[in-house]
Amino acid sequence: MSTRVGDWLDQRLGWRAVWSALFLRKMPKVNWLYTLGSATLFVAINQIVTGILLTIYYVPSPDQAYDSVQYITTQVPAGWFIRGLHHWGASAMVLLTVLHMLRVIILGSYKFPREVTWFTGIGLLLVVIGFGFTGYLLPWDQKAFWATTVGTRIAEVTPFVGDWILRIMRGGEELSAVTLARFFGVHVWFLPATLLLLLGIHLFLIVRIGISEVPEPEEEV
Amino acid sequence: MSETKEVQRRDFLGLVTWAIGVLIGAGLGLPAIAYIVGPALKQEGTQEWVAVGTTSKVELGTPTLFKANIERTTGWIVNQEEIAAYLLTEDGRNYVAMSNICTHLGCRVRWIAEQQRFFCPCHNGVFDKEGNVVSGPPPRPLDRYEVKVDDEQIFLKEA
Repeated sequence: MSTRVGDWLDQRLGWRAVWSALFLRKMPKVNWLYTLGSATLFVAINQIVTGILLTIYYVPSPDQAYDSVQYITTQVPAGWFIRGLHHWGASAMVLLTVLHMLRVIILGSYKFPREVTWFTGIGLLLVVIGFGFTGYLLPWDQKAFWATTVGTRIAEVTPFVGDWILRIMRGGEELSAVTLARFFGVHVWFLPATLLLLLGIHLFLIVRIGISEVPEPEEEV
Repeated sequence: MSETKEVQRRDFLGLVTWAIGVLIGAGLGLPAIAYIVGPALKQEGTQEWVAVGTTSKVELGTPTLFKANIERTTGWIVNQEEIAAYLLTEDGRNYVAMSNICTHLGCRVRWIAEQQRFFCPCHNGVFDKEGNVVSGPPPRPLDRYEVKVDDEQIFLKEA
């Protein structure tokens, strides 16, 4: 039965060819460090799912943000769990992205023909940091408020344009409702859109080119 | 021989991968359902007795409107809300408290003494003194509150 449904779909969608191209592709013999990218992808999916769930209750407004987060954590069934996954997942994201990058650097996987994969990876690292920075403000507690005050002040130190960067980040001189709203907008629209675009290219290239082999000491580079 | 073994191992690992995937999916999916549905299942309403006034204000045999302010928490927002109920007593001892919210679409009904009827202005719903539907679209009698009289004070609670 299931094979008949599968055949019917395959004749129309050709999904078996797509499936084997994605998951049954040839692999060099590699070690566990080569799973860091997949681990990052897994946590990214976790962040997307839990993040979408959090928007069901979260309100990005100074008079309601904190209360709505408290409501999620203490009142909604499994709210503590969904928020916890998103909170700890955020740290895991940064950690895994950096570890994945170190592996790529140390094992030389960024070289020809994988430069574009590397460039999109750099973009993805910046996006992940952007997610962390904007997401940190959203609970709107003391820690969030002062961390963003300090974070935007750090950006202000930039020569010549620092003052402008601070004003654009905060949406004005002070940290305010405007800041919270734009951090939320960036966190749930701008960055996810950029992430999906870069990730799409990144993954397409991995499937197209295949992953690199582990370099051997005797081998010429 | 060794080839059949290889395929079995591959199938086994595939199966394990799927099983782990299903476990993770369920581990996130089931809490997600509880998370989305949870607040919808929560009981709302005044669970406590609310003092609305004294018995001396109720005329025998005439529904009298009482109002009281209550605090209602919806999600993370606490609202001041007014509840209003018509109190009716025939003997000064047994009280009936009827909500003034029309059971049709939620407009406020008014007691018109000359006709001894409650009227709803929105779609001409008519209720009698006890809150039973006389005519119009309302599907059921006016909702009632629980009533408690303690030392001349009238208390209401959502039934």
